Amino acid sequence: MADKALSFSLADFFFNDSPDVLTPPSDFQSWIEHPKIQSAMGLFGQQLLCAPRAGTEVLSSLDGKRHKVINMTSYNYLGLSTHPEVVQAAKEALDVYGLGASGAPLLSGTFDLHVEFARRLAEFKQKEDCLLFSSGLGGNVGAIQGLLRKGDMFVLDEKCHKSLIDGGTLSGAKMLFFSHNDPVSLEAMLEKCKGKRVLVAFEGVYSMDGDLVRLPEILKVCAHYKAATYIDEAHSTLMFGPNGRGVAEHFGLEHDIGVSFGTLSKSFGGVGGFVCSNARITAYLKGYSSPWNFSCAPSPPVVAGMMKALEVATRDSSLRDLLWKNVAYLKKGLRDLKLNLGQSESQVIPIIIGSSGEKLIQFAYDIQRRGLFLQPVDFPAVPADSRRFRISVSTQFTNEQMDTALNIIEDVIAKGLRA
Amino acid sequence: MTKEAVIEVIKKNIAANSDDIDAATIDPQKSMKDYGANSLDMIEVVSTSMRELKIKVPRSELTDINNIDDLAVKFLEYVNKGNG
Repeated sequence: MADKALSFSLADFFFNDSPDVLTPPSDFQSWIEHPKIQSAMGLFGQQLLCAPRAGTEVLSSLDGKRHKVINMTSYNYLGLSTHPEVVQAAKEALDVYGLGASGAPLLSGTFDLHVEFARRLAEFKQKEDCLLFSSGLGGNVGAIQGLLRKGDMFVLDEKCHKSLIDGGTLSGAKMLFFSHNDPVSLEAMLEKCKGKRVLVAFEGVYSMDGDLVRLPEILKVCAHYKAATYIDEAHSTLMFGPNGRGVAEHFGLEHDIGVSFGTLSKSFGGVGGFVCSNARITAYLKGYSSPWNFSCAPSPPVVAGMMKALEVATRDSSLRDLLWKNVAYLKKGLRDLKLNLGQSESQVIPIIIGSSGEKLIQFAYDIQRRGLFLQPVDFPAVPADSRRFRISVSTQFTNEQMDTALNIIEDVIAKGLRA
Repeated sequence: MTKEAVIEVIKKNIAANSDDIDAATIDPQKSMKDYGANSLDMIEVVSTSMRELKIKVPRSELTDINNIDDLAVKFLEYVNKGNG
């Protein structure tokens, strides 16, 4: 084990044979203590010492010191987490409402702010109603666990987020995965679901690859089989579509989708999730979605900040325009370096470096040493043959910051891959 | 241990993980996906089989496996060298 530590990953220790539940597997302990794994793990969980702006500071695990870095990892896509109007709205709400909601939504946790924000989100997403969740993961888990039961079928794109899979597991429904973005594979899975209640889930923008759902083709298959549909627009809300409503709006197919989910931690710059659908199903979900009715309602000042974020992002297209300008600039620079960006069509840009975990970690340290905070994504989060870096483009990037980052990426990754 | 014996272990665990599959009807030239297994089911089958065979094969070495027979070959390699 010690000699081949880097061959192993977190995928290898899920099952624990230790007789004591409170003791991790013995081989996990020797793996995690291996110097190479310790070194790799040091990259993760590094502390940010100020706001997740394009220019931020981290307490680096390289030397334990404070360093200024260009931040291309945080998904503060529209820069709203630090937008002056957003911060001001949160401050004002903090004075009025205090820090926490101090209650579950059904008892005492529903404030006028929650009702108004949910109303605005439903209107924005062109659905009848909306449920707010304290976490994005909780929103997906809660919606799926609330909608499906044992005996139902849950059909997902194989690249769907863990929160959807966990929701499916909790629901007791049988899960079938279709090949990524492949309507033929989806059709084959739906053939197996005949006679059963079926929900098909897909994402607007896939989080590790940055590609878009092939929505017209996917929805055509779903319609043929009369399968209910669920879109996760975590990485697309406020960015895609003529009005920023997401990838469903981008394709002009919003009204053909049953449930629209979004997170509030990415483009909104806050934290939480929301589920929009018809009012009958949201009323039903309130009774059966545990992360909604057994969790404290979202923090009021955060809700106030996000409500302002929605207003700022949708009052005109300026933030979206700036984001796409930065995406185009950065993608051109990366393509000029002949890097493999996969099929990215969005502000999520992978730099796929291949199968070497050692190179990935070495590059990660080297770019950070040069002042770029760009975290690696290793197996099993992505396939073992396509380990990568994942750039989250932000409106806050200046051309100067992007040029500096491109130089670092060229020196470390592009040249390193050719070596 | 023979490859056939390893295949029997895998087949048994596929059947144990599914309500509607008889181990005797499983063709090793097919993939678990062909028998309706999703990726979570496959993790379960691979893990329980490795436990039974007392081996530990890194998941990263299993990504190119296309069918049950290939999986058995990989497992046998580790059985023969006395674990991972």
